[in-house]
Parts: sequence; structure tokens; C-alpha cells
Amino acid sequence: MDNNSQGSGGVKSGLGSLFGGGSPGYSNNDLAGVSLTGMSPLSPYLNVDPRYLAQDTDEFILPTGANKTRGRFELAFFTIGGSCMTGATFGAFNGLRMGIKETRDMAWSKPRNVQIINMVTRQGASWANTLGSVALLYSAFGVVFEKARGAEDDLNTVAAGTLTGMLFKSAGGLKGVARGGLVGLALSSAYALYNNWDHITNSSSSASSRLY
Amino acid sequence: MEEYIREPCPWRIVDDCGGAFTMGAIGGGVFQAVKGFRNAPAGIGYRLRSGANAVRVRAPQIGGSFAVWGGLFSTIDCGLVRIRGKEDPWNSITSGAMTGAILAARSGPLVMVGSAMMGGILLALIEGVGILLTRYTAQQFQNAAPFAEDPSQLPPKDRGLGL
Repeated sequence: MDNNSQGSGGVKSGLGSLFGGGSPGYSNNDLAGVSLTGMSPLSPYLNVDPRYLAQDTDEFILPTGANKTRGRFELAFFTIGGSCMTGATFGAFNGLRMGIKETRDMAWSKPRNVQIINMVTRQGASWANTLGSVALLYSAFGVVFEKARGAEDDLNTVAAGTLTGMLFKSAGGLKGVARGGLVGLALSSAYALYNNWDHITNSSSSASSRLY
Repeated sequence: MEEYIREPCPWRIVDDCGGAFTMGAIGGGVFQAVKGFRNAPAGIGYRLRSGANAVRVRAPQIGGSFAVWGGLFSTIDCGLVRIRGKEDPWNSITSGAMTGAILAARSGPLVMVGSAMMGGILLALIEGVGILLTRYTAQQFQNAAPFAEDPSQLPPKDRGLGL
């Protein structure tokens, strides 16, 4: 108790000495000599140099074995399912357009509706399968690269995209492989560029949430 | 700790669709590769090319039909969860039955009923296995019964606590 009271008394006297110049008659000249190391943009009450504070924007506690962003395998199903559904929607609209165009000469009757519905379902299924298998190949290559290299960055994205393009058009012989590879390289590079746009054109960028 | 954590309900549909597509494409791919390999003229080049062709043509189709099944199942499941307000195995079984019925809708009511029964029984089996597995793994974590030195110190057996 005695120590505490003495301590508080010491603090009070210290504060008093700091503001001792608060007695009437101080001018800006007196204050100009006060060093501002204790004043930081974070808070004027910090008496720690903020350079020693690690400002990590994600203050999360991670359990053992977890990493900060989702790995490729966890995102794979979402990517594949999303591509399937996107393909289905696009194919459905495309089928609707094609069906209406091809049955333009028919009157509005049951056969015409059946034709249009058939076009919609066929095109929807076809596009969904195509986009889904492309996404599956891309995810599989991405996971393989991630596990093989032990690291995760955009090189995985670009490499996986290129290989996907190459494999997808492998039925067309060597020329098909080259063309598919080029298309895959272009698309995945564009995607990687889009992801890192802030980082490239600007200096400050924290770990943005990236969905691969 | 790597546990299988499911997404919340709207995104669960996309996840399940993707998972079903993957299962269908890879499983179908393996089957079609073997089938194409076998139904080919003699000579390893022909056989490999035939297997690769079969995979290229049929695997996306099989994956696509699995994806439709999985996506529809998950949609109905999420809808039931939303309506009923709780998650339990009955949702899955009902969803399986309804999915089977809807996907057979073009073939008439009798086939719909048969397909619904197949879907419901399949899901009931899956859920049953899941429940048994949960009970089995939970047994390992049960606390051992505390020892009492003097049997007369034990509390009376039936305390009406339920359970």
C-alpha cells in the first residue's frame, strides 16, 4: 500500500513536471523543444515508438495446421460448381436464342415449344459440362502444383491454366495443344493480373481476399 | 484440426454441385478409360487412344448428370432447412426422394415414384451410416465412470434425472 501511494505520488510529480510549464506565461518556444517521439499518428497517448508495433491487419489466432487463406483444394469444389452453373445458365440462354431463331418459321405450338426446350436443355448441359471439366482440370493442376512446390502464388495459377488449355485441346494434335496452351496462358495471366492489380499499380496492399 | 466444415446454405449448393461433378467426372472417367481400353483393337496405341477418347467424350457428361443430381439435392435440402428451421437426417432423406422424383419427371408418375423411393432409400442408407459413425467415434471420448471407494456412499440409483 505504501509503495503504491509512493508510486502514484511519483507519477503525479512526474506529470506535474511535464506540465509544469503549464503555469501561466509559457510560449510556443518552450513547447517547441518537446520531442514528439511519444506522439504517433495512432494515438497521442502512446509512449511507444510505433515503429516497434507490428501492425498486422488480420489479428486472427489460427489453430495448428491451418493457414490464413483457403488452400486450392477447399476452393476447388466452389470453383467447379460455379463454373458448372455459369455454363448451364449461359448455355440455357444460348439455347433459347438458337431455338427461337431456328423455329422462326413455325407458329407458336407445342412442337415449337418442345424444340425450344430441347435446344435449351442440350445447350445448357453441353456448356455446363465443358466449363465444369475445364474448371476441374484447372483445380486439379492447381492442387498438384501447390502440393509439389509447397508454396502458393500466382505462378501456380498461370501454370495450371496453361496446362489445362494444353490438355483440353490435346485432341487437335500438336497445333491444338499449342493453341490451347496459349489461350490458357492468356486467360490465367489476365486473371492473375486482375488479382494483383492493386499490388502492381500501387504500393500499399494488405493481403486481399483472393478466391482462386 | 482438419474437419469437414460445410458452407452456409446458399453457397452450399455451389459446393455440392462442384463436389458431385468431381465425383462423377473422375469416377466416370476411370470407368470409361477401362471400357475404352477394352473395346479397342489390339495394340497398345489403339487401346490408349480409345480410352482417352472415351474419357474425353463421356466423363463430362457423367459428371454433368451427377452435378445436376447434387445441385438439385442441395437446393431442396437448403429449402427444407429454411422452411423447417432445423437440420436433421429427415431433410436429407426427403431431399433425396424429391430429387429422384423431379429428375424422372419426364417419364411419368410411376417411374417418378420408383425413382423417389430409390433416392430416399439411398439417402437413408448414407445418413444411417453417418449416424452410426458419429456414435462410434463419440464413444471414444466418453468419460470413464468415476470410482467410489465405499459403495454405500454412492447416490441412489434412480434419481429421476431422465436418460
